[in-house]
Amino acid sequence: MQEDKIIEVKRIKKVCRDKTILDIEEFAVLKNKFNFIIGGNGSGKTSLLNILSLIDQDYQGKLYYKGQKINKDEQNLKLRRKFSLIWQDPYLYRGNVFYNIALPLKLRDFAQNSINKKVKAVAARLEIGNLLEQSAHTLSGGEKQKVSIARALITEPEVLFVDEATTNLDEESIQFFNSHFADLVTDEMTVVMVSHDRRQIKELADQITLLKGGEVEITKTIHNFNFELFGAGIEAPIAEIV
Amino acid sequence: MDYYTGAVLRALQLIINLDPEVIEVVTTSLKISISSTFIASIISIPLAILIARNKFKTKKFINIILNTMLSLPTVVIGIFVYSIISRRGVLGELDLLFTPVGIIIGQVILIIPLITALIRNVIFSMDEKLYKTATSMGASRRQKFKLLISEARYGIIGALIAGFGRVLGEIGVSMMLGGNIKGVTRTITTAMSLETNKGRFAFALALGIILLSLSFLINFVTYFLQEGKDYARR
Repeated sequence: MQEDKIIEVKRIKKVCRDKTILDIEEFAVLKNKFNFIIGGNGSGKTSLLNILSLIDQDYQGKLYYKGQKINKDEQNLKLRRKFSLIWQDPYLYRGNVFYNIALPLKLRDFAQNSINKKVKAVAARLEIGNLLEQSAHTLSGGEKQKVSIARALITEPEVLFVDEATTNLDEESIQFFNSHFADLVTDEMTVVMVSHDRRQIKELADQITLLKGGEVEITKTIHNFNFELFGAGIEAPIAEIV
Repeated sequence: MDYYTGAVLRALQLIINLDPEVIEVVTTSLKISISSTFIASIISIPLAILIARNKFKTKKFINIILNTMLSLPTVVIGIFVYSIISRRGVLGELDLLFTPVGIIIGQVILIIPLITALIRNVIFSMDEKLYKTATSMGASRRQKFKLLISEARYGIIGALIAGFGRVLGEIGVSMMLGGNIKGVTRTITTAMSLETNKGRFAFALALGIILLSLSFLINFVTYFLQEGKDYARR
């Protein structure tokens, strides 16, 4: 069955200080699916995520959204506002938790009433309703990540990018993330996730892409995760990385 | 010794009694210094952000010039502006010499490098994730600029206060371009110099105490904005 592609890249090349850090012939993000990008350190996972999410526009090659070529010269504001990103080490702005979660809506000129309702709803889902008045800089690492997830979800993005969201978290926060994340994402959302967490991949992945040395080593669409599906020769490096 | 003790007492009396002449000099000084700082901030804030956030070929050169200008003597700026606004200068016809505007021009040139360099350092040291997060949240270019200013606000205010303190205490520019005209261009520092020479030691001392108090206040505010105990929490 042909899967719907929401973002496609063709012949993407990213060079940094004369070193090619990304060189991808073809890659597609599947619509309304969990797309995992895995690979070792320096394999280009985050670079690819930054290009897909339009954070980085300094690359060679072509990027398509729903079949339409994305022009690099534009600010791409309309398109960027359909995306959200959860970082490994989130940056929270000066102010309280409420301000931080509400910020994306304020940037989109939402009415204050609507902002209040949405912030309270998303905070309740992430169990941080009691932290709304607290200064963002007094939060623990786990709480900060919950705030950044709330901030990313409040706009109900079409595509949610997640860059190793649990890498720096304690065990309790990882448990929370793993048990709640799938419920927080709606069926209309597409997720692109860079992760090393075996459990996340096993439970969530619809497509898994292995990067090696900035190139796509293999892409597999899977329903029941099984390392065997990657075939001999690939199983070992994936097992090692995951 | 009695002479000095008496002078200190008379100086305090002048301050407590809000002597009209003292008030006039302090008001003139504050008006000129606030105007200079305001104008310099309009130029320095965007300039500092431009230097800190962009890569361009002449960046190193501009930074060297900026750092050199930090230690520029006030009399050099005084002579430079004098040559422009005096009768024979390029802007001689505007009659700016010995006016508050003349002093403001000199003081703006004096503190632009200072404010720019301080804000440049503040912006440069800010987390790169601030910009990436703003982009990922769907901020336009203008909204990103506002977020940046908001995040750097304590550092920016600190830099402006440092600039204000610099112009309030300088004498070279005010003396050369203002001419120490009573009620018009007589500032705290020029009045102190003149009145001491005239033997009105108590009057000069009163101005000195006020200047010192203002400097203390400025440093106190700057400290709490940049190094205060809540600094790490902001």
